[in-house]
Amino acid sequence: MVLRKTEIEAALFAENEAISAGRLKEDNPLDLTDDFSIFCEACRRGDLKVCQEKITAGVNINARDTFDYTPLILASLCGHYEVVRLLLESGVLCERDTFQGERALYNALTDRIRNLLLSYDYSKSTNPLQPLAAHVASLLLRTVPKTSDLALTTGSETFRLHKFVLAARSPYFAKKLTLAPETNTWRLPNTVPSESIHAAIQFLYLSDISRGFGGEDHEHDILAGVGKLSRTLEIDRLFEYITATDKRWMRQQRDEEVNRGRDELAAWFTDNILKYKINVETSKAADVKWDRNNGIFADVLLRADEDSTEDEEEKQGILEEATERLSLAPSSYIPIGPMANKSRSPSKARKSSKSVVFPAHKAMLLRSEFFNTMFCSAFKEAQSSEYLQVIPIDCSPEVLEIVLTFLYTEKTDFPLDIAIEVLFAADLLFIEKLKVKAAQIISTLGNGTTSSMDAQAQAGVEGEQFEEVLDIYDVIRAGWATRVQRLEEFGARYIAYRLENYIDQEEFLELVKESAGRVEARQETDTIELIDDIRYHLSERFRLRFEDAGIEEMMEEAEMDAAIKDSLEPEQVIRTLDGEDVEDEFAQDYHNYRMLSEKIDVLLEQLNLDA
Amino acid sequence: MAAMRRQAQKIRAPRRGIDQESIDFGITWKNLEVAFKEILTKNASKLSYEELYRHAYRIVLKKKGQELYIAVTTFIREWLEQNVCGKIRKLLVPSLLTTLADGPTGASVNERRTAGDRFLHGLKDAWADHQVCMAMMADVLMYLDRVYGADMRNPSVYHTCMDLFRDHVLLADSGSQESSLKSVLLILNAIVLEQIQMERSGDVINKAEIKNCINMLEALYQSGSETEDQRLYITSFEPDFLEASKMFYQHEGEQLMREGNAETYSEKVTKRIKEEQERCRSTLSESTTHKIEEVVELELIANRIRDVIEMESGVRFMIDNERLVPLGLLYDLSARVDPKKVELTKAVQKRIIDLGNEVNKAVIEASQPPPPGAPAVPNQQTAAALKWVEDILSLKDKFDAIWLESFRLDQAMQTSLTRSFADFINSSTFSRGSEYISLFIDDNMKKGIKDKTEEEVDQVLDKAITLLRYVQDKDLFELYYKKHLSKRLLMNKSISIDVEKQMISRMKIELGNNFTSKLEAMFKDIAVSKELSTGFKEYVASRGDPDLSRVDLKIDVLTSGTWPLSQDSSEEENATRPKVIYPPQVARVKQDFQNFYQTKHTGRELTWHPDKGTADLIIRFKNGQGSKSIKEVNMPTYSMIILLLFQDLPEDKSLSFADIQAMTNIPPADLKRQLQSLAVASKTRILKKVPMSREVVESDEFFFNEGFRSDYRRLKVGVIAANNRAETERERRDTEKKNDASRIHLIEAAIVRIMKQRQTLKHEQLLVETVQQLAARFKPDVPMIKSRIENLIEREYLERVEGSSPAAYKYLA
Repeated sequence: MVLRKTEIEAALFAENEAISAGRLKEDNPLDLTDDFSIFCEACRRGDLKVCQEKITAGVNINARDTFDYTPLILASLCGHYEVVRLLLESGVLCERDTFQGERALYNALTDRIRNLLLSYDYSKSTNPLQPLAAHVASLLLRTVPKTSDLALTTGSETFRLHKFVLAARSPYFAKKLTLAPETNTWRLPNTVPSESIHAAIQFLYLSDISRGFGGEDHEHDILAGVGKLSRTLEIDRLFEYITATDKRWMRQQRDEEVNRGRDELAAWFTDNILKYKINVETSKAADVKWDRNNGIFADVLLRADEDSTEDEEEKQGILEEATERLSLAPSSYIPIGPMANKSRSPSKARKSSKSVVFPAHKAMLLRSEFFNTMFCSAFKEAQSSEYLQVIPIDCSPEVLEIVLTFLYTEKTDFPLDIAIEVLFAADLLFIEKLKVKAAQIISTLGNGTTSSMDAQAQAGVEGEQFEEVLDIYDVIRAGWATRVQRLEEFGARYIAYRLENYIDQEEFLELVKESAGRVEARQETDTIELIDDIRYHLSERFRLRFEDAGIEEMMEEAEMDAAIKDSLEPEQVIRTLDGEDVEDEFAQDYHNYRMLSEKIDVLLEQLNLDA
Repeated sequence: MAAMRRQAQKIRAPRRGIDQESIDFGITWKNLEVAFKEILTKNASKLSYEELYRHAYRIVLKKKGQELYIAVTTFIREWLEQNVCGKIRKLLVPSLLTTLADGPTGASVNERRTAGDRFLHGLKDAWADHQVCMAMMADVLMYLDRVYGADMRNPSVYHTCMDLFRDHVLLADSGSQESSLKSVLLILNAIVLEQIQMERSGDVINKAEIKNCINMLEALYQSGSETEDQRLYITSFEPDFLEASKMFYQHEGEQLMREGNAETYSEKVTKRIKEEQERCRSTLSESTTHKIEEVVELELIANRIRDVIEMESGVRFMIDNERLVPLGLLYDLSARVDPKKVELTKAVQKRIIDLGNEVNKAVIEASQPPPPGAPAVPNQQTAAALKWVEDILSLKDKFDAIWLESFRLDQAMQTSLTRSFADFINSSTFSRGSEYISLFIDDNMKKGIKDKTEEEVDQVLDKAITLLRYVQDKDLFELYYKKHLSKRLLMNKSISIDVEKQMISRMKIELGNNFTSKLEAMFKDIAVSKELSTGFKEYVASRGDPDLSRVDLKIDVLTSGTWPLSQDSSEEENATRPKVIYPPQVARVKQDFQNFYQTKHTGRELTWHPDKGTADLIIRFKNGQGSKSIKEVNMPTYSMIILLLFQDLPEDKSLSFADIQAMTNIPPADLKRQLQSLAVASKTRILKKVPMSREVVESDEFFFNEGFRSDYRRLKVGVIAANNRAETERERRDTEKKNDASRIHLIEAAIVRIMKQRQTLKHEQLLVETVQQLAARFKPDVPMIKSRIENLIEREYLERVEGSSPAAYKYLA
């Protein structure tokens, strides 16, 4: 169902009324800061990298500029598919039947973008923090595994709660629990109706509060109870939150509350978990002992080891134990991989390897399916022990911290250089969202479409610098290993725009071979995905300006022209990649395209593959 | 952003442990294997999930997923073969095998049950352990499943291990020589079936144990494809179970038939069905409920219901003895196999018709004129009619109760019952239904509803309507009803006009406007007449003629055609019939009224019916003293005319029969009747007859009886044979003849209507349509229709279509 223009205008008018009356908050506030205008500019140009940087830096992606343009409208209008996708993934608001929402859709430059907007559950884009909120809320209902550490009783009802959530969300509980962290039961007077308490708890747990409260009289009691609670718990906004009625206002309130809840959790996370993380020598890491009753209510310890070499050594020790009967000497454990890098001096590794131990809460770890299965199982980790269990996690402390930060706060604020490590850790722990995020960071910050030629043009000889930004082979292989389609696409694009740098490398040949091998039971005529993708992007790179017009004929004409021109005196020399002089930029592009395509064909012949 | 500076941006390679280095599959697998053994021996609590998961994770990441998958399945298979199978085989004690093979010889029920129980228990334990352990292993191998399994579209480790259990435990060789007990699965089936058999014969068995094993069969699949109908339960156990059940119930059916008691039969079958349902719920699977029901239904109901219904203790016995509960069971059973319940319906219908015909027969016998010599019973016909109605109604009540209690208010059943009632009420051997129903209403209107509350009256009306519904010849009923109603109205016999009107409105609902319009017109005539009477009285008073006021006139002006008056049908007779000579004072009033009426409705002709009216006379007798000698006498108009002849006659003078006839012009038959009541009936002997005899003959002489005595001041002179009663044979023939005459018109009209619409039509079709059109009013008989068609052809309304076979007709415009 599509609304008519007049209806949308009427809605816009009503919205403005409501905003000026203070009943609603503006979804798209005017933003005149420099950061925002840089961001808008990036959206206009389609500069993924800057966009990602600005989003990470916390610019308001829903704001508007002096001309009432929002970043989404700009990106959509200027036809930057990748940017639109990034914005949508970052939770930009785009509601149908609103003025700004319809503009984004109406202005979409291509059908592809339009379909993307529509497919993105356009009408009810959710708050990107929703998964976190939903998880916290689900803790109230979850019974297996047991994660609650505080039983709140009132009248006949008992609520099983989590001290860390309460401490993070309510100053009142924070104070009380600091004084007596070992408390595990809490009685409330019977004077407050249990429905009020239920509502307040739902509020603290970021749950959607069911607002209809039984009959009129009863409702009054409940609301009075809520009012009382909101004073006791020192959360003034609770009452207002619960009594809100307007639908949009409720949504805004809820979004705001979820944001606040996240911030509170984040603050608490920094002040407690990160503050109490322990740096120890790896050899002693297993001996870290925490009592069950600790000041930050942690119920499990996670350990990450600093140096991977040492990690290997240690594991080797375990292996040795297990395989003693096989009487295998440690030396027989020889890695076979092509990049065997064992040459790093063992003495250095043994000197002082460090580990970091993070206190954590099972309740939040459950967001990872790995931990969920672990704590639900019958294995050691799920047994209760005298001291908190120390669970080693197979990644670096830095990455573990990122993982924990994501689990507690939904924040994914990490630099490109450890993105692949995060990707693997997320894959190991089954945290799908973090995987997506890591892939997103790699593919946006990785500068996929900046052609090496342009860069060369700018940086001259220094163009070779790209090889240092990222190892595209690693990225593509990581994408395969962790089954992230997007990285393969990114890799293909990346290579296509710099094909001249890779086409002759031995390792590129290897990669193509691997790609071919990925198709099970390959037929003679099957395509190689990687090559197909590269060819596609290659044509994008060079044919962008030609649309789909008959390039061959154009080129023939151009060549004829060139022949004529050759007889005349050349005015300006344009060189192709292999240094030949050509007529103009079209001719240059065409020549380059043909040259690279030929090279790919040669490569395939070399591999005895047909694609 | 600092981190984004070019130099610092160099992406870090993944950790060596993950990517660069290979791991030794053999060693890592050995670790896992040791751990899996611990799991299988229930020592898992010391194992670290993280460590095991990491091992599996690395193997998969190193693209060794397939090796791991194979290693795991091989390991589990060996485990099952070496450990689990042995345990199960130990439970297969030879005695168990032999009893299963040879049937229950030797070992007692108890022994067999215990041995079976032990086997089921052992198998269930093995299964439960397997499930728990495999779930734990699946947890550890989660990454394998997700990554390798998804890539290769392999079934998950858990499912594969479940299949292994099926192949290497359930389908393992049992060591038995019998081919029907070759595998553990077959033995399981046999044991479960044996236990069910025990339960059917009344023993108590361990249902929970069986249920557990059934659950196992439900969780496993026959082959790789995990569709619902591939579950082992469906492919292996269920067919055996249904087959065994079929045999059992065949046998049981024979045995029950031998016992030959329909009541116990239906009870037993109902119980069996309930048992099977309960068994499916508690012991087997809900999905079998429907199938086993079908088996029981086929063996115990569909194949035998007919015999059961016809048993000596079958439906007839149950109806006659009001065995509503077993009849209800029988109904339920029939309904299970046949939505139309043909057999049961047939039996019930037959019984209704038999009982109905008995009622009819009884009435016909009762209404026979008494044998000569026996004392005549007064109103014999009416009594018979009332009894008939009562009998029918009680029969109806009886079957209503059966319908309500036993037939669960089944609509189709109700229709069949109604049809059966209609069948015997309209049966060709009994043609008095319409008349009797009308009589029943008449009786109630005149006497029955006196002192009854409104509800009771309602009930009576309901009953009448119920019966009326069954009647097919509605026109005949209308004729009778009109006759009876007119008498009630004219003679003021109705107790309540309100109730009369209620009756009419009910008939209107039941039979339509058409049917009641004439009846309603009768009521209207009565109401109009009342107005006329008062209007006339006022008219007379306004003329101020004191002489006229001596005779009061109450008049009923009846629209001709609406009322069933004898003159109606024979106009010519009416014309030739001599006019009755009224006494002068009456004739004047009559003339006056005629004039008065003409002023109101010009052009209408009034025909006077002195035979229908009554008159009140005040007569002074000479004997006796004072007021005692003055009597108020109500009498028919004819009597009044006769008596007035004696008013001025000297006491010793007499009038002969011929004189009276000459002076009054009353038809001789009527006159004879009148004189009989005036001079013969003992209570109202106002005239003396010479000679005194019971019969009035033409030569009789009549005197005024001055010495008349009576204890009452008010008297009523009855009219002999004017009483309402059932018709005599002759009268009924008259009525029927009249009815047939009117039917002729209706049939012809219907035929013409149909032909006009269709133009040409085949003979058969014309018959069918005609019957259909007239069904609401009566059931025409075919010869009559045929003769009407012939008649219409003669009158050139229709013509035969030349050379058509079968015959067809064409409408001639």
